[in-house]
Amino acid sequence: MTDDKRYEVNFFKPLSEHAKANRKLILILASIWAFAVFGFQITLMILNEPTPEKSYITYESVYPAVLDFSEADLEMKQKFARSLISVLGKNIAVSDEHKEVLKNILSWTVFSMQSDSMKYLFKKELDEQSYIQAANSIGLAAEGFDKIMIDLLPHSLLTIDSENLKEEYKSKLPAIMKLYLVHNQNAFTDFEFLGFPFHYWYTAQFLLILFVILCLVYAMVIEKMNLKHEFVEET
Amino acid sequence: MSKLSKIIYFYILQLILAESLLAESATKLEGEFKLGPAIILIILLITFIMVGVFNRAKDTSTYWAAGRKISPIGAGMAIASNWMSAASFLGMAAIMYGSGYHGLSYVVGWTGGYVLLLILMAGQIRRYGKYTAADFIGDRYYSQGLRGFGAGVAIFISFSYCVGQFAGIGLMFKWILGIDYTWAVLIGASVVLAYTLISGMLGVTKNMQIQYVIIIISFLIPLFILTYKFGYFFWLPQMGYGAIVTDIVNGLAPGKGITAIGHDFAILPSPEFAMPWDPATGQTAFQWIAICFSLMIGTAGLPHVIQRFYVVPRAKDARWSVVWGLFFICILYWSAPIYSTFGKILSANPEVGELAKDAIVVYTSQLGDVFPLITGFLAAGAISAAFSTVSGLLVAGASAFSHDLYYKVINPNANEKTQMLMARIGTILMAASVAIVALLNLGLIAQLVAVAFSLAGCTIFPLFLLGIWWSGSNRAGAWGGLIAGSAVSAVALVYFIAGKFGGNLPGQEFINYYMNAWYFAIFGAPLAIITNIVVSIFSKEKTPLEIKKFLAQQVHNYK
Repeated sequence: MTDDKRYEVNFFKPLSEHAKANRKLILILASIWAFAVFGFQITLMILNEPTPEKSYITYESVYPAVLDFSEADLEMKQKFARSLISVLGKNIAVSDEHKEVLKNILSWTVFSMQSDSMKYLFKKELDEQSYIQAANSIGLAAEGFDKIMIDLLPHSLLTIDSENLKEEYKSKLPAIMKLYLVHNQNAFTDFEFLGFPFHYWYTAQFLLILFVILCLVYAMVIEKMNLKHEFVEET
Repeated sequence: MSKLSKIIYFYILQLILAESLLAESATKLEGEFKLGPAIILIILLITFIMVGVFNRAKDTSTYWAAGRKISPIGAGMAIASNWMSAASFLGMAAIMYGSGYHGLSYVVGWTGGYVLLLILMAGQIRRYGKYTAADFIGDRYYSQGLRGFGAGVAIFISFSYCVGQFAGIGLMFKWILGIDYTWAVLIGASVVLAYTLISGMLGVTKNMQIQYVIIIISFLIPLFILTYKFGYFFWLPQMGYGAIVTDIVNGLAPGKGITAIGHDFAILPSPEFAMPWDPATGQTAFQWIAICFSLMIGTAGLPHVIQRFYVVPRAKDARWSVVWGLFFICILYWSAPIYSTFGKILSANPEVGELAKDAIVVYTSQLGDVFPLITGFLAAGAISAAFSTVSGLLVAGASAFSHDLYYKVINPNANEKTQMLMARIGTILMAASVAIVALLNLGLIAQLVAVAFSLAGCTIFPLFLLGIWWSGSNRAGAWGGLIAGSAVSAVALVYFIAGKFGGNLPGQEFINYYMNAWYFAIFGAPLAIITNIVVSIFSKEKTPLEIKKFLAQQVHNYK
């Protein structure tokens, strides 16, 4: 063998028994690593199904009637208002532009539920009385999620300038509701493990544990391998 | 009692004393000077400098040998301290707070890279025996030009890494001093520069172990308090927060507690926080994978990480220090998402207002009504994390400038005094320019730091990977790969900066999505590797026999 060949280092063409064993170890660990990290995420991607929240199903059932002024009764408007608040309650997840649309439509919906004698409460600067009236109109109780919704009202209602809702807001609403109320879910996201949604636990906790284990295994196995093949590390 | 336990004891005593003297309101999130946290910060910095003075390296050889006396556990703590910066301490929680599951790509990316680093490089780098990344590149590819280019790239990587750290330091100084961000960055930069110049030549490794202990304690204490206070499993918050994630997904009705500003600890159903690549976050599966990949290979190519293996005495110690280092790093990474989950619920009421995401760790502690001085300790821990990384990077950047560029390439006759002067000038210039870029507010801390990882992944990682594992990779191939990787980096950064300043270059949207500044290594690194291989095969040049022989015998131990 020429010197050039003799000293050729190539991961895929190891020239010693130690190098062959090392290659095998690296390939095994790297495959576990790659499959565990990227394989799982790709699996999630394949399994993901657009899954609506309950509020979205409610919203879809009442949306056409409410926004077309047609046959929406009070109960439909209440459900509609609740679905809008459920999106506004996501707070930092919602963009300012989308919040503006949602607030305008919510304000208009609440306004449309008022009797003529109460409409003035929403045409002036809003105050405590306006919020109490709005909560009553929507049918919010002072407990459970309803209480959160009541707390959100002062940050969600706007003064009504015109009794007609802008077409621009109406046209933007369906996409906004879908964006915030439909999520990528699958069996891994629905299954709970140690209190976590399984996919979250797997990525945030298990993968890190696996990385430490892989490093530990490598450090232990390579030492045995070095002894077995009389591999001198220090010169 | 060991030195370490004396210092921990000293800290506990300081905290108890300070708590009895200073009680502050936690309800004001920012905008006022906070005396308690300021005192804690000053005590911390003075302690780090004092520890450095007591463990002072007498000369250059002792400086390097400092790492040779400590156990792999101690070396692991030093690796963890070196690694845990403002990006880990503040940035990860910030990105998860804003983008939910997408943010976990940073958690996985910044830990998974250590597996690659260990199995592909750590022992081999140690056996190669060069002191800096540029030294390795220059020697393995037998080129002074490549050494110079490598040093330049290493400085640029350190520079981008520092930008995110300065942003974090600025935010924390803003919070403690109650001043605006610009002044906070300028003051923070001056303090970190003074700290680096004073502590730069002191006993760094010892200091790093102590810094690790301080950083991790300051990060964990509020989590025990928060989980206890709001009725979750507090013995091990890293397990207990699973129920918080589920509460966010399903919604949490009032009744579990009250926040510091009087709101219910409650939230409406928010599955977008935990579901994979939720449309509401605007992030896709491709971006998750691209960030994760870029951060992982970037980890295995970062000069200041690789450099740590040169200074350990034996290859075996290099390996075990990675195992321990990763474990110590993971303690923080297992915990960081907890801040984002509490932050999500505690800031659910719009009355809280829009919080700076990068300071969500501290705001969460405040909103959870954790005792103000513990929150102050947390902020001081964040600054320590940034300081320990920045001072290391500034020293590494400056030594690359004075040793690899000035002495080895520009002026080989320079004496030690001139080299030292160049190192000091380099440190000051770098700190000043980093502060200016940090003021531009180009992105979140984690994102800014991710740029450095992509740069390392596109440039240094391919040179190390092929340099170690294939003797056929030659000087021409190295130049080809480096130019390809640098070109991708340049395109990604030019488009990113143009986009930030309102410009619209051809294909702007396409480049911004597929070669975004946070993850351009997803294409840049494979391209650099392929280019290196192809050019090496087709160039007439052969790797010199003595280099092949050295690689085969010294690094891979072929007989």
